[in-house]
Amino acid sequence: VFARFTGGKVLTEQDLAPVLEAMKQHLMKKNVAREIADKVCEAVGESLIGKKVSGFKTVKAEVQNALSAALTRILTPKTSTDLLLSIRSKLANAPAASSSANGKRAPYTITFVGVNGVGKSTNLSKVCFWLIQNGFKVLIAACDTFRSGAVEQLRVHVRNLGMLANGEAGGSVELYERGYGKDAAGIAKEAIAYAKESSLDVVLIDTAGRMQDNEPLMRALAKLVSTNNPDKIIFVGEALVGNEAVDQLQKFDRALRDFSSVGGGHGTGRGIDGMLVTKWDTVDDKVGAALSMTYVTGQPIIFVGCGQTYTDLRQLRVGNVVQALLSD
Amino acid sequence: MVLADLGRKLNSALSQLNRAPVVDEKVLDALLKEICAALLESDVNVKLVSSLRQKVKAKAKAAFEAGADKGKEANRRNVVHKAIFDELVQLVDPGVEPYKPKKGQPNVIMAVGLQGNGKTTTCTKLAAYYQRRGFKSCIVCADTFRAGAFDQTRQSASKAKVSFFGSYTETDPVAIASQGVTKFKKERFEVIIVDTSGRHRQESELFQEMVQIGEAVKPDMTVLVLDASIGQAAEAQSRAFKESSDFGAIIVTKMDGHAKGGGAISAVAATKTPIIFLGVGEHLADLDKFSPQPFISKLLGMGDVQGLMEH
Ligand SMILES: Nc1nc2c(ncn2[C@@H]2O[C@H](COP(=O)(O)OP(=O)(O)OP(=O)(O)O)[C@@H](O)[C@H]2O)c(=O)[nH]1
Ligand SMILES: Nc1nc2c(ncn2[C@@H]2O[C@H](COP(=O)(O)OP(=O)(O)OP(=O)(O)O)[C@@H](O)[C@H]2O)c(=O)[nH]1
Ligand SMILES: [Mg+2]
Ligand SMILES: [Mg+2]
Repeated sequence: VFARFTGGKVLTEQDLAPVLEAMKQHLMKKNVAREIADKVCEAVGESLIGKKVSGFKTVKAEVQNALSAALTRILTPKTSTDLLLSIRSKLANAPAASSSANGKRAPYTITFVGVNGVGKSTNLSKVCFWLIQNGFKVLIAACDTFRSGAVEQLRVHVRNLGMLANGEAGGSVELYERGYGKDAAGIAKEAIAYAKESSLDVVLIDTAGRMQDNEPLMRALAKLVSTNNPDKIIFVGEALVGNEAVDQLQKFDRALRDFSSVGGGHGTGRGIDGMLVTKWDTVDDKVGAALSMTYVTGQPIIFVGCGQTYTDLRQLRVGNVVQALLSD
Repeated sequence: MVLADLGRKLNSALSQLNRAPVVDEKVLDALLKEICAALLESDVNVKLVSSLRQKVKAKAKAAFEAGADKGKEANRRNVVHKAIFDELVQLVDPGVEPYKPKKGQPNVIMAVGLQGNGKTTTCTKLAAYYQRRGFKSCIVCADTFRAGAFDQTRQSASKAKVSFFGSYTETDPVAIASQGVTKFKKERFEVIIVDTSGRHRQESELFQEMVQIGEAVKPDMTVLVLDASIGQAAEAQSRAFKESSDFGAIIVTKMDGHAKGGGAISAVAATKTPIIFLGVGEHLADLDKFSPQPFISKLLGMGDVQGLMEH
């Protein structure tokens, strides 16, 4: 009897089961994928079995704490998310090989990939705006040669961004496009060559949306990656996505790795380097997709898209996400 | 096949029921646990799933107590099976008849929904669908917000050989919508589809704009276009769209992927509105007619009795 008050209680599986089950339901309501909610709660349970409850803490509070720590661990980036640093260091230390014969420097290249309609082109434009503000000369490569209006969509963004760039510290933007129906990998290659020739700093490669199970389209994407070996491959996913978050990321990552190794270019065996989570402004505190995505890939969320204007791009605040996930 | 995965899981759960020597509460609980897990994995709303579990249990119990099983295990199995089937059908069947366009008169259809869920693509598919069935069909692009929106409509409508209306310079979507609809009515078009910008409930101005477009064009049917991959945000978003636009039908897009559409199904339950079509690809003809009962039969592997998902 006294044990309950003096903190002598040792947690058993039976104590934990109902609390963990409630926790799992809670996470699913926050839009965490079922499989991920399962795994996280299981791990939390294992870490607590046999643990002594300290002071007046209840089992529930003990589980809450452990869960909060686990969520923080999963969401905290394990690799650098400092894109500016990464770009600056590449541009500064351009290796001899790529600054080849004519002495020109290779640009930093970023590819945006993901399923249909998640916000690749829009958020690529936001990233472009941010790079311009930081003084970079940017080239946008229109490599979605399939969807109606995809090229014109980028043309409008480049026109808007060009006007905004006026007066920004040396920043600029251009569009590289070759219309519709052509091979995306080839256009990306030409764009990168053009950027090098014109001494531009960064190439942002827009790609067509595709379903992760569509093998021909996934192979085409892997070809773009293997021939061009981009510095960063950013997976764009929306905060609205439910359980599909898991399958999308696993299959994009695997397809890129598997299919690109057949290509034989420099970018063989490349996978996803990080995520951009869009439509954050549409889900209130149901931010579970961010957890599913980071759990599956172990890669960081580099940006969060939270609206439809160029300034609606943020860094992930791990503390806020954890709080939202735990809140009632 | 659409939903093959969910179907397989539901099936394996049900076949366990057939193998069990007795159908007692324990067996029923185990079965429901598996079915609920499969539904949760498909993004069906968490609350809906737990209410389904309770309803099936209550129904089965009541039936057993009333002696409907006549003491036979086979009958008990049927009772459980039917309770599950009915509840699943309930999920996708609000029992409401959607609007049917009529020949020889204008039928205005307005598409609304979240950003990027497939409205513009679906508008062209719908126009082509009705055109193939002899309706004189057209599209009005009332999206003045998204970069390249009118080009998207222009290119896809041209490919589909469907008439279209829009503007590169007018910035008021209400004005474009009403000009377009007036023009096409005068020209005796029968199916007039109005495409609108993507929006979400957190931005009330965007919803206000949708209401104004609706008032200007007086749609015979408003359609909510919803992405099959949506998770737990489906309920709140679809409810808000229902309140502001009073949509009368749902089209679930991107069902050609791996997504099982449970979020969209939850939107049906939350808004008591029927699904009329499924989008199953990026191409013009990738549109399947939808009806609830055959859909669930097929999902449970109960056979394609009525020639179900006709094109
Ligand atoms: N609310 C909100 N909408 C967004 C956000 N990011 C993008 N969108 C909207 O989502 C819609 C689709 O965006 P796109 O950039 O065209 O998406 P995409 O992934 O390039 O689409 P495809 O190329 O067709 O696969 C547009 O209406 C955007 O304005 C965001 O962070 N918040
Ligand atoms: N695979 C697949 N893709 C689809 C389907 N329907 C639409 N898409 C794709 O989804 C993306 C977005 O479609 P849009 O029609 O532009 O979406 P929208 O709702 O009009 O977008 P906004 O106007 O920006 O809100 C495009 O890449 C389409 O090709 C479908 O049924 N299957
Ligand atoms: Mg795009
Ligand atoms: Mg659109």
